[in-house]
Amino acid sequence: MKESSAKLVVEGLKEAGIKLITCLPESLLRPLYKMLRQDEFFKFVPVTNEGEGAAIAAGAWLGGMKAVLLMENSGLRVATEALSRLGLTYGVPVFMIMSHRGEIGEHNWWGIAHDLTMRPLLKAMHIPYIIVRKEEQIKDAIKRSIRHITTSMYHTAVVLSGETREE
Amino acid sequence: MKRYDCLKILSNYVKDDDLVVTSLGGLMDEWHNLRPSEANLPLHILGVISPLSLGLSIALPKKRIICIDTDGSLFLNIGALCTIGNEQPANLIIYVLDNECYECIGGYPTPSAGNTDIATIAKGCGIKGARTVNSEEQFEQESKKAFEGKGPSFIVCKIEPGTERYPAEKRIPWDGFELKYRFIRFIEKTEGITIKPPEERYDFRADEKKK
Repeated sequence: MKESSAKLVVEGLKEAGIKLITCLPESLLRPLYKMLRQDEFFKFVPVTNEGEGAAIAAGAWLGGMKAVLLMENSGLRVATEALSRLGLTYGVPVFMIMSHRGEIGEHNWWGIAHDLTMRPLLKAMHIPYIIVRKEEQIKDAIKRSIRHITTSMYHTAVVLSGETREE
Repeated sequence: MKRYDCLKILSNYVKDDDLVVTSLGGLMDEWHNLRPSEANLPLHILGVISPLSLGLSIALPKKRIICIDTDGSLFLNIGALCTIGNEQPANLIIYVLDNECYECIGGYPTPSAGNTDIATIAKGCGIKGARTVNSEEQFEQESKKAFEGKGPSFIVCKIEPGTERYPAEKRIPWDGFELKYRFIRFIEKTEGITIKPPEERYDFRADEKKK
């Protein structure tokens, strides 16, 4: 991820009123973690797995604090049980930003399955998502996702792909 | 020690404004009958009770959050204790009702029936005051300390299996969505904030006038 993409994500989160970041580190999003950790605007909470991150973000949302779960797209597999129950049985939303491992052009063999499982999982849980491939789409995608969550009280996801995930 | 007797003592400490998140099973109806309130959130989501309570405590630092988790639920996401230990939420009181089994499915043992000690794990995660209670007297004593002191408090309650049975009219009548809305409307009312705003309305006439 380029510094310029990371800066746009940070600006987008601030403009959308996101205060809490729950996350697991991910190599593609490295510059973003650094910026978020150092920015006192945000409460940055590292977690032990993505299901836990979803639960903390959901609790914050119930308390009126907007939150994001930041992760690699493989984290969706770990978070599925928590997300299914929070969303489908309670209508408690979690906003997610994830890197797009496994998109066409992937360098790492172990990352291929991340895309193959991400799309059907998002579909199975009826989670609306935007795949962002250009930097100029980043802030708009975050803004729309947050508006959508407030209306639907259900999860949304922004997938950082294309030039927004490249070094 | 019976769960119901612990909850009865706890209900004397909980104030009207306190938010209470509970795990699932017979506990839900017992707590609902002891403390009927919109400020209760019973969750049918194993592994989510403690971390969701942490999220609430971060969002609402001036409100007291009481988390009533269970051994089976906590074990599904035991890593959450690391995060709670690192975050040190001062307004969070966690009870773990430890009956050493998955009672709902017939009593299959959890790790705490073997060599695992939940309070020791919590201490190792940095929740310094974590302790185990084995009697109602100890429960009362530790609850008093938790409600008077600064969190995070972490009390593991060794209880025997067993559930109070309630007739249909005394059981929780709401599903997850209604429980969620009751809970957030309570927070909106008591905190003076908006969590779920009304839909937007467009004033077409005003737009026409501008033209």
